[in-house]
Amino acid sequence: MAATRRLQKELSDIRKSENNILKNIQVDDSNILLWQGLLVPENPPYNKGAFKIQIDFPAEYPFKPPKITFKTKIYHPNIDEKGQVCLPIISAENWKPATKTDQVLQALASLINDPEPEHPLRADLAEEFTKDKKKFMKNAEEFTKKYSEKRPID
Amino acid sequence: MSEEMKSQDSDNDSELEESDHMDDDDDYGGYYDNDTGDLDIDKPKKSDDPEYFEYELLEIEDVERFLNEEVEVLHSTLQIQPGLAKMLLLAHGWRKDYIIDRCKKEPDRLLIDSRLMPERKVTEQIFGNSAICSVCLLRRPQDYFYSLSCGHSFCGECWDEFCQVRIQQGVTTGIECMAKDCNILVPEDFLCSVMQKPELRDRYSQLSFSDHVKSHPDLRFCPGANCPIIVRAPVCKAKKVECSRCKTTFCFKCGIEYHAPTDCDVIKKWLTKCADDSETANYISAHTKDCPKCHVCIEKNGGCNHMQCSKCKYDFCWMCLGDWKTHGSEYYECSRYKENPNIANESVHAQAREALKKYLFYFERWENHAKSLQLEEQTLHKITSRIHEKVMNNTGTWIDWQYLLDAAHLLKKCRYTLQYTYPYAYYMEKSARKQLFEYQQAQLEAEVENLSWKVERAEITDRGDLENQMDIAEKRRQTLLKDFLEF
Repeated sequence: MAATRRLQKELSDIRKSENNILKNIQVDDSNILLWQGLLVPENPPYNKGAFKIQIDFPAEYPFKPPKITFKTKIYHPNIDEKGQVCLPIISAENWKPATKTDQVLQALASLINDPEPEHPLRADLAEEFTKDKKKFMKNAEEFTKKYSEKRPID
Repeated sequence: MSEEMKSQDSDNDSELEESDHMDDDDDYGGYYDNDTGDLDIDKPKKSDDPEYFEYELLEIEDVERFLNEEVEVLHSTLQIQPGLAKMLLLAHGWRKDYIIDRCKKEPDRLLIDSRLMPERKVTEQIFGNSAICSVCLLRRPQDYFYSLSCGHSFCGECWDEFCQVRIQQGVTTGIECMAKDCNILVPEDFLCSVMQKPELRDRYSQLSFSDHVKSHPDLRFCPGANCPIIVRAPVCKAKKVECSRCKTTFCFKCGIEYHAPTDCDVIKKWLTKCADDSETANYISAHTKDCPKCHVCIEKNGGCNHMQCSKCKYDFCWMCLGDWKTHGSEYYECSRYKENPNIANESVHAQAREALKKYLFYFERWENHAKSLQLEEQTLHKITSRIHEKVMNNTGTWIDWQYLLDAAHLLKKCRYTLQYTYPYAYYMEKSARKQLFEYQQAQLEAEVENLSWKVERAEITDRGDLENQMDIAEKRRQTLLKDFLEF
C-alpha cells in the first residue's frame, strides 16, 4: 500500500529531524493513518503552552490530503470551536501528492504563530485580533494558560 | 392609445350585449374578425423590442461539433496540436483572435500564462537505470517515469492513481502537476497515456465537455433539471431565454431566473441580501391582514393586490392598507419609498433603522409580487378547468375562450417584470432617473393590479375591456423596459 510505505518513511524522517515542529508523536502500530502529537508554537500568546493535534490520513494518501484537528482548545481566528483548521495546503482543491507532512506541519505552525484574520473560521476572534490586538493577546494568553497542555522538555 | 386598440374598442361595443349572457349563447360571430396576432405574448420578435434576443437551442452533439470547429480554426491557423489548441481556448475564454495574436507576438508568455509551460523548467535528472518516485517512494525503472513540461517526474502508477482521484472529485481540465507549488496543467493526451482504466475516460470526457461549455461565452447550459439543452447566442447579454425542451426561462448571461430590468450583478446582490436577511424579513410573510376599516381578518387567496373586504366592501391596497381609490390615478404612491431627507444628520441607530426600513419596504413588495405570481398560477389552473367545463357543456369552443388564458399569461409576465423592478429601484441612487423609473413602475403597478382584478373576474368582465387592459399593461411594461433595460 502506497499510504503505509510513505507514512512510515515520513514518520521516521520527522522523528529523526532536529527541529521538528511536532513533539511526542504517537502512532498506533495497528493504524499508521492516525497521528497525534504536540504542537509547540514559538510566538506569543501561544508560546506558553502546547497544543495536541491529530492528523488523519485517508486510505488514498498521498493522492488525497490529510485532515488536521486540534484536540486542545485554542483561542485563534483560524481554528474553530470544534478544532477544525483551515489550511489551504491541505484543502481538496490545492492538495499535491508530492507535498510532505513535514511541509504541512510547517504551514500549520506558521498559521498558528501568525494568525490570518483575512480568512477566519471565527469571525469574532478575527475582528478582535484586527481591532483590539491588546485585548486579543490578553484573552488568548489567559485561554492558553487555562486550557493548553504542558510543553515537553527537550 | 394605438390604432389597433381603437378598433378593439369598437369590437367591445358589439360584444357588450353578448357578454352578459355568454354562458347560454353559442353565437360569437364577432370573435373571428378579431385579430389576436398582436397578443402573441410568448417571444419578443421585433428588433426594437428591448427583450428581443437571438439564440438557438442545441443538443450536445451540435455543441461538440461547434467546439471542434473552433479548435480546428486554431489548429490550422497556428499549426498546433488540437489538444493544445483546446487548452488555450479554454484558458482564454475561446477568444480565437486574441490567442492567435498573442501566439504570434509572444508565444512563450502565452504558454506560461495558460499554465502550459513553466517559468523555469526543473532539471530532475534520473541517474542510472532507476529512480525513486517521490510520491510512492518506490524505486522504479527509468522508463516508468512521466513528466509534464515542468519536468517534475513521477511514476506512471502514481500519475494514474492521482488522475483517477481527481476525476472522481469532478476535476478534469484543471488537474495540475503533482509537485508542490507547480500549477502546470495535465493535457488530455498525457492523461490518456497514463490512465489504465478506460471506464473513467467517459467520465473525463463528460466533465471536460461541461468545463468547455461553461468557459465559452456564447454557450450556456439550460439550468432546467436534467435538461441536456445548451443555448448558443452570438452575444452574451442579460436577455431572456426559454428552453423549448423543459420550458425553463432564464437569463442567458448569468443563468439564473430572468430578472429584467435589474442587471445580473444587482440581482445577485439583492438575492444574497434577501437570503442573509431572511430572518428579519420573516415576520412579514403572513398571509392574513385585518381590513383597515372593519378589522375583519382577511386572507389573500388571489394575486391581485386590490382587495375588497367581503364584509364591509371597503376597497383597499394589500400592500399599504390604504384606500384603493388613491391607487388608480397618476398618483400611485404605494410603490415609491419615501426616504427621510434628513437622514445624514441622524444617529447611527436611526440610520440603521432607516436602512432596514428601506430594505423591508422593497423586500415586502418583491416578496408580495412573488406570492401573487404563485397565486395567479392557481388562477390560471382555475381558468383552464373552467374553460374545459364550458367547452364540455358546448358553451363555446376552446379557441373562443383562449383569450382568458392569454390574459392570465400576460398578467404573469407583467407581474414578473414588476417584481424585478423592486431590486432595481432599491439599488438606484436618488436622481431624476430614479424618479422617472418610479413613475413608470407606479404606472405598471397600477395597470397590473387592474389587469389582475379583471382576470380574477374574467367571466363577468367584458372581453374587449379585458383585452384593452392587457394591451395597456403590456405597453407599460414595454415602456419601462425600453427606458431601463440595456439593449
